[in-house]
Amino acid sequence: MTKTLGIYGVTLVVSLALMSMSGCSKKSVQSGGDSQATQGMAKGGTADSPKSGVGSFPDTSLQSGGGGLQGINKNPSEERVGGGTLLAKVDPSGSAGRQMDEIRAEQAASAAAGLRDVFFAYDSWTISEDGRQALSRDAEWMKSNSSAQIKVEGHCDERGTSAYNLVLGEKRAKAARNYLVELGVGANRLSVVSYGKERPSCNEHTEACYQQNRRGHLSLKTGK
Amino acid sequence: MTQVKLISALVGGLLLMAGAIGILESGAADVFLEATRPDFQKISLAVAGIHNAGGPDWLGGRIEEVLKKDVKRSLVFDLLDLPSLGIKTVDIGNGTEASSKAVFKQAAEKGVSVLVWGKAGLKEADKDADVNMEGFVYDSGSDEVVGGKRYAGSPSVVRLMAHRFADELVFRYTGEPGIARTKIAYVAEHGSARELFVMDYDGYDTRQLTADGFLNLMPRWSPDRRFLVFTAYRNRNTQDIDMIELATGKRWTVISLGGLNITPALSPDGNFLAFASSHEGNSDLYRLDTRTKAIQRLTSNPAGDLSPSWSPNGRELVFVSDRGGGPQLFLMGSDGSNVRRLTFEGDYNAAPVWSPRGNWIAYVCRARREYKLCLISPDGQKRTQLTTGPGVDDSPSWSPDGRHLVFSSTADGKSHIYMINADGKDIERLTFEGTHNSAPSWSPAS
Repeated sequence: MTKTLGIYGVTLVVSLALMSMSGCSKKSVQSGGDSQATQGMAKGGTADSPKSGVGSFPDTSLQSGGGGLQGINKNPSEERVGGGTLLAKVDPSGSAGRQMDEIRAEQAASAAAGLRDVFFAYDSWTISEDGRQALSRDAEWMKSNSSAQIKVEGHCDERGTSAYNLVLGEKRAKAARNYLVELGVGANRLSVVSYGKERPSCNEHTEACYQQNRRGHLSLKTGK
Repeated sequence: MTQVKLISALVGGLLLMAGAIGILESGAADVFLEATRPDFQKISLAVAGIHNAGGPDWLGGRIEEVLKKDVKRSLVFDLLDLPSLGIKTVDIGNGTEASSKAVFKQAAEKGVSVLVWGKAGLKEADKDADVNMEGFVYDSGSDEVVGGKRYAGSPSVVRLMAHRFADELVFRYTGEPGIARTKIAYVAEHGSARELFVMDYDGYDTRQLTADGFLNLMPRWSPDRRFLVFTAYRNRNTQDIDMIELATGKRWTVISLGGLNITPALSPDGNFLAFASSHEGNSDLYRLDTRTKAIQRLTSNPAGDLSPSWSPNGRELVFVSDRGGGPQLFLMGSDGSNVRRLTFEGDYNAAPVWSPRGNWIAYVCRARREYKLCLISPDGQKRTQLTTGPGVDDSPSWSPDGRHLVFSSTADGKSHIYMINADGKDIERLTFEGTHNSAPSWSPAS
């Protein structure tokens, strides 16, 4: 009890400190926050993937933001209300169109190859007998198309949390990948990725649709 | 029933720092009961109109409507309706007229503690001219007009004026900044892609942040509200953790290790980024020191570990692990020490978020095959289910005042975003467009 009190006492002190910090930041002007951001960005650059695996990281500890409150008082001066710092415009890179084209190409190539999906039970990543048969045919295809690179996608139904379904999807993708390797497909020809419940093939709240979405999907890589 | 009582007590307690101290001693049941005393009465507040002073017809009414909703949502005030108290909402001007004194007297007699009114108009006759808004506050306790606010801005920011005035009212009566100017980041389906969006906490003023045509998932705010961290897919094959600056839309990769890289969460001081990554086999937890760029592995377990959420003092993390079979909540020190299991009830507990007051952890629990919101105290002593009924509830996120949660739910068929009070009352739907809105994340207060 005393211990618990101690821990939460600290929590309280910290939250009080944070509160008083945000009080202090009243005077900070929005443009100040912006210039800070630009400095942080300058080191980092763009969406290029850094070799070390870790990109630049700006200082995010400042408690400035949308402008502080100045209090209700008897002779209020006029306060200018603006959009704050949230002025984002959509990234105009146009990558959406490119992605769509690539997805269509992958889908067409995978369908043409006749690659089969493997389906899973609720909450499960065990390959069923049907799944083994589907993967055996996929493995045969891969052996006779020895240059093909396959992405094994793990998918889930809509039940459960987005986050945990990403982990579940990865387990499904890896289970399918491992079985293909067992059947003699080179591991270097197989990559895995989990899409969790974020790329469903149907959207109905029915068991039939759930089953269709709990799948390992083999996608033939067409580009990079 | 008892649970409902306890939770409504919680909200009451949150309203006063003194009450909060009682709750923070959550180890002892008797102390917790102390917080159930109705010590805190919401402050009764009425809005006597935001009157038009030269401008489009909708102007005053719009501001008044937004202000009233903010006041109600604050849970600090009890919003009274003047007409139903038999008080005519006349234009009170600046509150110096004799007629206004009569209104004050009437209001005070009917139990109104705070009376708010104002006016709004265009600075010039031009329809694109700036809007001026003035708000006044009468306090019946001191029987005086305690002051007011004067705002100016383009017609596109009138909602923000109302939000700002509401936050000033909360600030004046609680010393806290209020949540009316907070934002909610979320994911929405856009074609077959999932892109990041930001909206005001009341569901208005939606802005799209990403447009890369694939999956952008689970955004979380930086403590300074200037950035979001989230999971993205490079070339649809590799999962990275990206960062986007809201003011500029600039976006870059911060974690690119291979494998699954998900559920990023910045520590309250911004010095660490906790995240789950499977680059060393299966999903484990790591933390990046954002200053030195050193990565420390926090868990090493053949099961999946994910979804870290920081305690408000940054000393502990709650996370999900399926090391016992199904997903359950675990606690550990933020350096990976002292791991212990928190949830034992049910076979599916996930997506935990630690409340900004520290006294509750909200999460998704599975009850009768439905996925609902639950709360548990960090000592595991108190647990309650917040939502019921069909549908998948997911991704709870606390308001910075700890009085509300935002979450996604498929209760209405499609996935939409909802707000709910921490006592399970007042569910409010925030999104209406599209077929899929998910992964809401509530910004810190400004």
